[in-house]
Amino acid sequence: MPYTETAQEEQLEISGFVNDSIVDGPGLRFTVFGQGCPHHCKGCHNPQTWAFGAGERYTPQAVFEKIQANSLVKGVTFSGGEPFAQCGGFAVLGQLLQKAGYEVACYTGYTFEQLLQMPAALPLLKQLDVLVDGPFIEAQKDLLLSFRGSANQRILDVPKSLAAKEAVLYEGERWQGAPRYIPRHLKF
Amino acid sequence: MIKSIVKRDGRVVLYDESKIANAILKSMQASGMDDAATAAVVAGKVTDRLMQTCGERAPEIEEVQDAVEKTLMDNGYDTAAKNYILYRAKRTEIRESNTALMKKLNEIIKADAHESNLKRDNANVDGDTAMGSMLQMGAAASKEYYAKYLLTPEQDRAYINGDIHIHDFDFYALTMTCCQIDLVKLFKGGFSTGHGFSREPNDIASYAALAAIAIQANQNDQHGGQAVPNFDYGLAPGVGKTYKKMFRLKLAEALEDAADLDDATELVKGILADIEEETGWVPQLETNLEAYDAEVIAALNKKLGSAQDFVPVLARSRKRAWKATDKATFQAMEGFIHNLNTMHSRAGAQTPFSSINYGMDTSPEGRMVMKNLLLATEDGLGHGETPIFPIQIFRVKEGINYNAGEPNYDLFKLACRTSAKRLFPNFSFVDAPFNLQYYDPKRPETQIAYMGCRTRVIGNVYDKNNEICNGRGNLSFTSINLPRLAIESKGDEKVFYQKLTDMMDLVIRQLLDRFEIQARRKVKNFPFLMGQGVWLGSEKLHPDDEVREVIKHGTLSVGFIGLAETLVALFGHHHGESEEMQKKGLEIIGYMRKYMDDTAEKTGLNFSLLATPAEGLSGRFVRMDKKRYGVIPGVTDKDYYTNSFHVPVYYNIGAFDKIKKEAPYHALTNAGHISYIELDGDTSNNIEAFESVVRAMHDAGIGYGSINHPVDRCPRCGFNGIIGDSCPVCDHHDGDNGYYMERIRRITGYLVGTLSKWNDAKQAEERDRVKHHL
Repeated sequence: MPYTETAQEEQLEISGFVNDSIVDGPGLRFTVFGQGCPHHCKGCHNPQTWAFGAGERYTPQAVFEKIQANSLVKGVTFSGGEPFAQCGGFAVLGQLLQKAGYEVACYTGYTFEQLLQMPAALPLLKQLDVLVDGPFIEAQKDLLLSFRGSANQRILDVPKSLAAKEAVLYEGERWQGAPRYIPRHLKF
Repeated sequence: MIKSIVKRDGRVVLYDESKIANAILKSMQASGMDDAATAAVVAGKVTDRLMQTCGERAPEIEEVQDAVEKTLMDNGYDTAAKNYILYRAKRTEIRESNTALMKKLNEIIKADAHESNLKRDNANVDGDTAMGSMLQMGAAASKEYYAKYLLTPEQDRAYINGDIHIHDFDFYALTMTCCQIDLVKLFKGGFSTGHGFSREPNDIASYAALAAIAIQANQNDQHGGQAVPNFDYGLAPGVGKTYKKMFRLKLAEALEDAADLDDATELVKGILADIEEETGWVPQLETNLEAYDAEVIAALNKKLGSAQDFVPVLARSRKRAWKATDKATFQAMEGFIHNLNTMHSRAGAQTPFSSINYGMDTSPEGRMVMKNLLLATEDGLGHGETPIFPIQIFRVKEGINYNAGEPNYDLFKLACRTSAKRLFPNFSFVDAPFNLQYYDPKRPETQIAYMGCRTRVIGNVYDKNNEICNGRGNLSFTSINLPRLAIESKGDEKVFYQKLTDMMDLVIRQLLDRFEIQARRKVKNFPFLMGQGVWLGSEKLHPDDEVREVIKHGTLSVGFIGLAETLVALFGHHHGESEEMQKKGLEIIGYMRKYMDDTAEKTGLNFSLLATPAEGLSGRFVRMDKKRYGVIPGVTDKDYYTNSFHVPVYYNIGAFDKIKKEAPYHALTNAGHISYIELDGDTSNNIEAFESVVRAMHDAGIGYGSINHPVDRCPRCGFNGIIGDSCPVCDHHDGDNGYYMERIRRITGYLVGTLSKWNDAKQAEERDRVKHHL
């Protein structure tokens, strides 16, 4: 069944929104934080988004309208929480955004390989341009990474990955951020 | 017998009845009675009275004065008594103001800057140093003098009470605010700083060095910021001259190798000189390459009598000359930035407030200047520090650098990348209608320029033929405490407009009084600004001439602060919150602008409306109003009033909406304006986001805009970016071994290395800023 027809029934449980974000992907972005997460990574930046049922409910259409109100935004990022815990709602929102020409990116604590094994994940994956996958691993935390928290996480080109049925890294400069700083010397 | 009296400071001196007689005589003379004999008789009675009240004890000075007053009255000299009382009151006032001054001087000398707001009034002055303190003491003393002797009582009251703020009051009678220095004009034929003559420079290094010297020299003549409106056009000839030299050098070298010559210097010199004589051509960076090279090759074949193929030799020389020139230009720009961050001026306590405008010169030489200036800025100072000066302003213009394919589009991209890392350049928009109206593509002096703090001088009612930036500046400006007028109007719009009109009248009179003082200054009072012909028209004047006529090219500006609080006080909301309030806000500022235009028309002087840069002032007004009116929610409940027409920093509004709300005020504030967008996050990681904000500003009709973002630097490894408690590169923890992270932030348009130098109000404002995003 095409997702547009179920749009009325799908609901999103939202932890919060951020307008004009510059840290969740290239360009000014609108970030949608889903409420509820099964991963509970140690050192998580947003533990308040873990509990299911603690968020506010929105229809995908309502969220879409919020995004459209900001005419500077060209990209949208799903974050959380775990967006793949609400595949249906985010897939509907993703479709609305794709039609309107936004670049849609998503963070997930699952790996792309795990998502391929989850039948419910596919409709959402199909609406994504970019996926930042994998759990946050505190031991691999690196503040110099652009748009990622720990070194195990990957920035994937989703259409290419789906076509190849395996993780394909995003190519091109947009998601790369500034070149890594290497100190010439330490002063003391 | 009264033998002695006790003075105020406790010293005991001999009692002298003739001194009392003298004071009495003066009081009598003031009421038209010139009778020394009578005065002496009354003085005698004063002595009698003192003997009665004090007996053998020496009376104190106040007792003596009391006795004089009473004796005059008892003997029917009522008018003389009144005069004496007035004279006594005035003496008391002066004495007290001296005491207040002494207290201030005491604070300047003894307090640490971090605990004294007085010492942090201007973030660019280090109040802890000898020269900084000297400057502050001079300022304190001169302010007392001006207030007592140069302001009318009405102006003095308005200033002291905080109805208005007279900017740069410490320089009230001395000079004007600022000037836009035309480097092209200044360098032609060389110039003198008053301590020696500099010849017209001959390579890019000297151009850059002299540019810094010009800014410094002019800063010694004026109290405000110094701007260069044409940095690209001004320095481009230096690149051309360097290239010419490098080409000669590299050609000789390549020739020595190719033709196996021992020294080809003279040969090449001769050939190039001949070509210049015959055709007028010199070797240029990217222009006329083929034709010129053909001439050189022909000459070489003739001179060396060989049929050698010199094409590769020329190609190699060109490449090497280009590289060498590029490198020299980079070093020159690096030196320029270093100079402006280290040399002191303005009473020896500050680096000059320098700003440079550029972006529009499409010549290869001008482009090389800009590219290397941006790269040097991106690199930072010696240890990678973010340069605080000069303020850089990149001009954005469709057809020149705004869209892909336009000649300087690459420089616009580079400007965004640089600013995303270093906070400069800011961006000015030639396409904004109120800027575009002056723009003539053939005359670079009609391209809008901004001076660092936001000042803008281009329109000219005094001389319609000179609606240009170059050689002009602001004369003085005074700001109105708008929120207070609103509070006192108690919600009555009509009353508010009446009060606003009265206050503008008062300020206009004060600006005219100050103009009169400035106009009487002579060329010799400004040895560089006027003596070297920097100011428009001054080149025709002699050292003893008054500057009256030429300074009419300058502007007299009325500023304002706290439109947001004004709207809240009048109507309960500010312009960020509703379209209705936006309309009201535009009405108020539109009314002020119209009033300035009318005044300009009437006086023939350039009165203009300024969105005031509010360092120091933002706290001063609100402190006073809080005392007077108590805490009024949304009005006096913060430690600062909102900057000019800005949507309050604490109000959560998207970047796009903020730009939309503020843009129309840019069109109204013809003396200057700036809008800021706060981005939270490392923008050098997301230049695309940075650029989209710049583009939104351009498209919305903003005149001058800038993006604020945190720039931290680790003192240990030099990492620049966002740093929390510890450096993400080298793990240095903030404060370990006494080394703290440098946290660069922007304050009234200027960058400041550490927040601790900001005054209290500005620190509070920074805390409250809503960042657009996370």
